[in-house]
Amino acid sequence: MDLNNVLGFPILSLSIFLPMFGALVIWLFVRGDRAVRWAALAVSVATFIVTLPLAFMFDKNTAHMQFEELHPWISTFHVNYQLGVDGISMPFIILTSLLTIICIISAWECIQTRVKEYMLAFLVLETTLIGVFCALDAILFYFFWEAMLIPMYLIIGVWGGKNRVYATLKFFLYTLAGSVLMLIAVLAMYFKAGHTFSLLAYMDYPFDFTWQFWIWIAFFIAFAVKVPMWPVHTWLPDAHTEAPTAGSVILAGILLKMGAYGFLRFSLPILPDASQYFVPFMVILSLVAIVYISLVAMMQTDMKRLIAYSSIAHMGFVTLGTFMFTQVALEGALFGMISHGFVAAALFLCVGVMYDRLHTREIAAYGGVANVMPIFAAVIILFAMANVALPGASSFVAEIMVLIGTFDASAITQRICLYR
Amino acid sequence: MANVTFPYPFPEHLFALMPEMFVAVIAMALLLLDLFIARDKKAVTAYIAIATSLTAAVLTVQAMMPESVTAFYGFFVLDHFAVLAKVLICLGTAFGMVLSVSYMKEEENVGEFYVLMLFSMLGMMLMVSATNFITMYLGLELMALCIYVLVGYQRDVLRSNEAALKYFILGALSSCMLLYGVTFFYGVTGSFDFIAIGKGLAAAGSGSHTAVMLGLVFIVAGLAFKVSMAPFHMWTPDAYEGAPTSITAFMSVAPKVAGFVVFIRILVDAMPALQHEYTMILTAMAVLTMAVGNLGAIAQRNIKRMLAYSTIGHVGFVMLGLIAANSEGYAGIMVYLTIYLFMTMGAFAVIILMRREGIQGELLDDFAGLSRVRPGYALAMGLLLFSLAGIPFLGGFWAKYVVFMAAVQAGHLYLVLYALLFSAVGAFYYIRVIKYIYFDEEKVAFNFDESRLMQATVVVMTIAVVALGFYPDPLMDLCRQAVAGLI
Repeated sequence: MDLNNVLGFPILSLSIFLPMFGALVIWLFVRGDRAVRWAALAVSVATFIVTLPLAFMFDKNTAHMQFEELHPWISTFHVNYQLGVDGISMPFIILTSLLTIICIISAWECIQTRVKEYMLAFLVLETTLIGVFCALDAILFYFFWEAMLIPMYLIIGVWGGKNRVYATLKFFLYTLAGSVLMLIAVLAMYFKAGHTFSLLAYMDYPFDFTWQFWIWIAFFIAFAVKVPMWPVHTWLPDAHTEAPTAGSVILAGILLKMGAYGFLRFSLPILPDASQYFVPFMVILSLVAIVYISLVAMMQTDMKRLIAYSSIAHMGFVTLGTFMFTQVALEGALFGMISHGFVAAALFLCVGVMYDRLHTREIAAYGGVANVMPIFAAVIILFAMANVALPGASSFVAEIMVLIGTFDASAITQRICLYR
Repeated sequence: MANVTFPYPFPEHLFALMPEMFVAVIAMALLLLDLFIARDKKAVTAYIAIATSLTAAVLTVQAMMPESVTAFYGFFVLDHFAVLAKVLICLGTAFGMVLSVSYMKEEENVGEFYVLMLFSMLGMMLMVSATNFITMYLGLELMALCIYVLVGYQRDVLRSNEAALKYFILGALSSCMLLYGVTFFYGVTGSFDFIAIGKGLAAAGSGSHTAVMLGLVFIVAGLAFKVSMAPFHMWTPDAYEGAPTSITAFMSVAPKVAGFVVFIRILVDAMPALQHEYTMILTAMAVLTMAVGNLGAIAQRNIKRMLAYSTIGHVGFVMLGLIAANSEGYAGIMVYLTIYLFMTMGAFAVIILMRREGIQGELLDDFAGLSRVRPGYALAMGLLLFSLAGIPFLGGFWAKYVVFMAAVQAGHLYLVLYALLFSAVGAFYYIRVIKYIYFDEEKVAFNFDESRLMQATVVVMTIAVVALGFYPDPLMDLCRQAVAGLI
């Protein structure tokens, strides 16, 4: 098999393991909070620089995987270390490496306890997140997908708010319980598709409908918990509220996208018939997320909870666009994920700034911030408007694309969306 | 069997038995030698015993032949499968002794302790080489009798006595059941030899159906007791809690290896004709075992009891390999047990290190704030617990993966689904301990046993678990080769 890698250099492996290697070096050799902060920043910036060629050298004229790598990993079970990116995954890798830098800078002042562990957890988290978006082998994907739980569990649990233990346990168990169904689906596909874990091979294999039906449900549960879709979204407001600022940033910016990415990477290409069959189901859940969760968000008095619920609603647009089966809606969904990655991350950072000064997340307590911090107030309004999808903001582009695509697809959804 | 010419001037069967003879001789010599070692220098006995078990592992590997060797007219077999099992048993015993050196410092330190562990190891080594119910039973009893004594070793501690008595009575009962089951098979086939029984059962008509079924049920029940499968698990939490912690570590690893290896041999050699029946029995027991282990652990406040239930839970997952009844399943069992050895020994080493004056560092609360005082131990324990929970990039994930894979291959999709759900339930009580370690404030002042040997043990186990998490292929390959000659 020819590997499509213009660089002739394992750039994806480097992007994945540079943060982990950096974490190891920091753990063993760097002493003192100040030195640890700078070292972690250096590692994350280096990772960002390493991932940049993915964007610049990316061949936009092909749908094939690029920067591929393939090595046997567990030959006994035909598990390969297979990496590659296409237009779907590449932006997420850049987004991850960029947001990690922001997370580390944002923790500069506000994390004063156990600085080293904090930085290590973020760097390890970066490894697992980039790994998820690069993996083209189902077991490798699962490996990174689940490994992500370890640093995230610690980030929320150690540096979180008052109710952090409850929130992090809920987050961990919800996601773990969802993911195990993905594992069994993958194991079942391995034997069906002729002893391979390669996603590319799965995409070519004609699974029959009954088979697709059950596998689709297993994947749906795993991904829907992660997105999160109504009604399995309840871990998210808790996790977001209790997580430290940078934890919320990475949660909203990247972790939520992993679920939607899973739909794009597994459900649509591997199980197209079942995906088509489940369109009404997905549309209903997405619309409930958009309408009902938006109403729930209106009632929140806690700023972080508000953004958390609004994130669920925005992810409703993403899942809606994903399952419309029109090109413009799909592109809108992808665009929406990237856009939301920036906007929600920025909003959580703004809340973090206010929380550090006021030590409350109650919206009512934020009265008069504009008098003291006028520039900050302008910035937060900018991001709030962006989250509203005001024309001129990236979210507007995303949502209008999803809406146009949805109009193309169905008259009924047209109506419902218009009256949102 | 194989006709191999030997490069040594030993008769064939003695050469195959060399590791066992070595252990027996050293153990008996050590019993005498111990009389001349001063009471405060009993660690010397321990170090000799550790060296003996490690040497036994090396001798076993050396005695390995390209093909399997039988000795004593088919009473004893040395194949790759037995060699792998013996190496695991010797390692488990050696680590158990390392833990004991640290643990017994505060106890009455007597040399017989290590001699008993050696004899128990000898029993297990005989068990895994048994091709015959007689040899198997001899090994089993040698192992079990020594462990009964070891469990009750703290004779002034009430719960230790209680544990030993419970374990002994139930153990003796289960041995009776096993023997009773064997008599049925003997009655039908006229042999104690596994393979001869297998042929005899295949040839036996439906007239002897009842006797065969009774034999099957009793044998499975007797063996199930030894590896603590539900509903024969009742002794496990009490024995684990009451035993000296190092013995708890030892008995949660080595006898489980021996028990499962014997189980595999009996199922493969003696009961191929009964596959449908034993699959049914084992499936029902696995369903129960996973539920009992994983749900029972949630309610525990004592970490030794919690790990006892967790062992039961893991046994439930390992049973998937037996139910799969294919070479992937049996290889998976060996992979699982190897990784389990590292995880469990590491976790118990941390527990023993945590031991304080008066308090025994056994309650979950005792772990509160460990990460602030000792980030190194906390990290090791955290990784070991995540591994026990089966989270990737740690070995525990692959342990589960291999047996689940084998079971899916054998068509037990629903059972694997059930197991996966319970592994998610199981994750809860492991990460709850991590919660104590990382999220809570320190409650009582820690007082660590700063033994270099123990620290090295913790480090080695943690590194092994992480390394196997990233690259498990060599271990999987090894286990696959070991079971290749089995079917």
